[in-house]
Amino acid sequence: MTAPLLSCRGLTRRFGGVLALDGLDLDVEPGSVLGLIGPNGSGKTTFFNVLTGLFPANAGESRFAGQPITSWRPQAVYRIGIARTFQRSRMCLPLSIFDNLMVGNHLHLDHGLWFNLVRRRALRRQVEECYQAARDLLRIFDPPLADRMMEPASRIPMIDRRRVEVCRALISRPKLLLLDEPSAGMTHEETLRLMDDILQVQQQLGGLTIILIEHEMSVIERVTRRCVVLNYGRKIAEGTYSEVSGDPQVRQAYLGLE
Amino acid sequence: MSVDVVAQYVMNGAMLGMMYALVAVGFTLFFGVLDIIQFSHGDVVTVGAFAGLAAWTLLTASGVTSAGVLLLAVTGAAAAVTALLGVGVARFIVLPVKSAPQLNVLLVTLMGGTVLRECLRLFYPGGSQPKLFPALLPTSGWTFGRFFLRFDNVILLVSGALLIAGTHLLITRTRLGLAIRAVAQDEETARTMGIDFRRVVLVTFALGSALAAFAGVMDGLYYNEVFFGMGLLLGVIGFAAAILGGLGNMYGAIVGGFLFAALQTVGAVALPFASAYKDVFAFAVVIVLMAIRPTGLIGERASERV
Amino acid sequence: MRSRGAAVALTAAVTAFVWGLLRAESQSAIAALLALAVAAGFVLLKTRWLDPLAGAALANERFAQGLAVASVAALALVLRDDDFALLLVTRVLIVIVACLGLNVQFGYAGVVNFAGASFFGVGGYTAAVLARATGLPHVLILLAGGVTAALTGTVLLLPILRTRGHYAALITIAFALLFRTFLEVNDALGGPQGLKLGEMRIGPIRFNDPVGIGPFEGSFYLKYVAVALILLALAFALVLRLERSWIGLALDAVRIDEIAAASFGLDVARWKIAAFTIGNFVIGVAGALSAFMIGFIAPNNYTFAESLIFVSVLLLGGIGNPWGLSLAAAIVILVPEKLQVIQEYRFLMFATLVVLVLLFRPVGLLPRPLRRLVERSP
Repeated sequence: MTAPLLSCRGLTRRFGGVLALDGLDLDVEPGSVLGLIGPNGSGKTTFFNVLTGLFPANAGESRFAGQPITSWRPQAVYRIGIARTFQRSRMCLPLSIFDNLMVGNHLHLDHGLWFNLVRRRALRRQVEECYQAARDLLRIFDPPLADRMMEPASRIPMIDRRRVEVCRALISRPKLLLLDEPSAGMTHEETLRLMDDILQVQQQLGGLTIILIEHEMSVIERVTRRCVVLNYGRKIAEGTYSEVSGDPQVRQAYLGLE
Repeated sequence: MSVDVVAQYVMNGAMLGMMYALVAVGFTLFFGVLDIIQFSHGDVVTVGAFAGLAAWTLLTASGVTSAGVLLLAVTGAAAAVTALLGVGVARFIVLPVKSAPQLNVLLVTLMGGTVLRECLRLFYPGGSQPKLFPALLPTSGWTFGRFFLRFDNVILLVSGALLIAGTHLLITRTRLGLAIRAVAQDEETARTMGIDFRRVVLVTFALGSALAAFAGVMDGLYYNEVFFGMGLLLGVIGFAAAILGGLGNMYGAIVGGFLFAALQTVGAVALPFASAYKDVFAFAVVIVLMAIRPTGLIGERASERV
Repeated sequence: MRSRGAAVALTAAVTAFVWGLLRAESQSAIAALLALAVAAGFVLLKTRWLDPLAGAALANERFAQGLAVASVAALALVLRDDDFALLLVTRVLIVIVACLGLNVQFGYAGVVNFAGASFFGVGGYTAAVLARATGLPHVLILLAGGVTAALTGTVLLLPILRTRGHYAALITIAFALLFRTFLEVNDALGGPQGLKLGEMRIGPIRFNDPVGIGPFEGSFYLKYVAVALILLALAFALVLRLERSWIGLALDAVRIDEIAAASFGLDVARWKIAAFTIGNFVIGVAGALSAFMIGFIAPNNYTFAESLIFVSVLLLGGIGNPWGLSLAAAIVILVPEKLQVIQEYRFLMFATLVVLVLLFRPVGLLPRPLRRLVERSP
């Protein structure tokens, strides 16, 4: 039994009077895909936001690769190897697709003033390398898009944008990938294709760990090893998909059945 | 310091606070309904004051002497002109860019305010110089020791308070107020409930601007003069007061206005050497405030969804 | 080769036009020239020739830049005896430099700065005080103007970093008003009358002496044109390199979406600080040079309205586009100076123009092109 890559204990987050996260305990095994499911408003996205430091936790702690990251700023969380996508599309539309991908690649870019203003040849070399890396990654998801990287992001349809956003999260070769409803707006086939591409990259990166928030249960069933079900900010069930889907508490949460 | 001197300062502070509060409430209304900062608001105040002045000039030129009639005309003209102006700004400048980035609305209203300011400076006869504003209220008063409680100041304060109370009643007790609050809460839902969004916006702008008119007239009556740049100062401080009280929060805006006036008055007392520095002090306070409490003392209602 | 010839011809035509505008004396001639320019601009916009033209210039950037420099140099040489015309040219160049600084703050990092003229003034006052009170070499004083402006900006950094959008705007507006009032009541800095500066000197070159190299003679303003052009070239290179680098990308990300930027490791505060400080440095240096050239400074030159003029240059030209703002700066400076009748109305005119632009063509005259980090056709 390997030590969990991510481990959260008693994670709590309050917004005014609303308890969005209520003492959440969570473990994620390295190299696995964990499904995070639950009805709307159950705290899934809030969990991502608190984990990545966008909102500080009111109580509880999280540990990543043994390090306590509970009060870390988003920048530090990214640097330790956690990358994410967002529920609603957060692209820089006025910029090119390549620029958008590079936004996610901060870890590997040199941002020094001297390097960028004076050492232009070295900069060009780094840009070339990044261009190749971005193209190789994007080719997995959408080959024609890989040749259109210098076009403005505003010109591509929403589905392609979401693919680019997934690539943006992957380009820095993170250790933990947080996917927040990546398939929103996609058809069933497109969703399956996206998940297959992500799993392909997971293999290439030699054991990327993924937490997937998803509403399409067939996807969860297909790609995840274990699931965690949230309701009102608490974990109400945990196990494989077939285990949790049969859990009466889960059914009640989703369907309001007795 | 003797009681009567203190009383005088309190009076000055109260007058200033009332003016700031009136302007700040306007900002709050605009922000509440449209989530925008109407940067031309301060200049609308100036237009109100000048409209009142114009009305007075015209009427006295035609031989009207009754102070009551003049006062009514001045206030009425100011309110009518600014209400119309507010509606115009909303319809032609603000609503068209509503869906553009927030920065654009800020810029467009800022420039719009400049247009108003410059128009007054260039086209109003003698606009580039400070203009004398008539004293239309009785200048008598009551004396308490060395403190002279002016009748006109009392009237201004009381009417300002009544206006604010009236606005509060309008917002909380009438159907129109309900519509305004609904739109401020959630535009989409308000629309689906059958509320005419455009109309509510236009009415809100008319209301906020009319309040500004009163602030402008009050400013003129109190200082006995108006000039084309007066709105800029009032606008900046009114905006700061609205932020101080938490944008979108009407009571906060009022509290903010008076708090700001108190700060300025205290500053004038503590640093008596240069009354000109009073403005510098006020602006510095605004900046410091933003550093300490960027979302105001009471807190802004809106927040971004991640 | 053919298109290059066409470009040279076009540049020559535009240069001749500007020469004509600068030399013209009669108001009706000036009005006619300006009407011609407006008509040409309108035609370009409507026939959609403007964007392809801009694209062509971008594709041959070095060539276009060379043409621009040659054009200004030629203009200066032809006008070598016309003091006023040269003064105007230099003023345009200096305003472009200042607006380039503003562009880094506003156009790239999204930090609204409505106190541009105040930082310009800080540079000017620094130059005046240092030139009068010390024997520092004037080149250093120019730099000191930039440094002081950058340092002054740090005072506003804490509130600016803690706020967003409209709040940040309020801070710089308050500062702009504060600065002007402070200067007026402060007698140590000359009060409302301001301060005078002595002659500028760089090495053996005395800037108030007319130019005389053999048979070539010209106004002393030629020296200022040269210095301003050098400054402009440096500022332009700085801004272009900044934009076409990982730094430019970081600034854009911070401007467009702070949350995404933070989630991918960008230190939002650091980049806003960097942009604001670099921008103020550039503005300050421009202000110092301007003070030397005009010979005196007064609070009246550094009002909130002047700050709005700087912002208008950015908005009219196309926010984020150095070429756009150069064009807009030329328009904003030259038109009121030549067409005397609108000199009084320039704040009104440009404010109205900006409102119209924001309503109908928010990208400005020359919209900002996509970043070209990689030399590839899309």
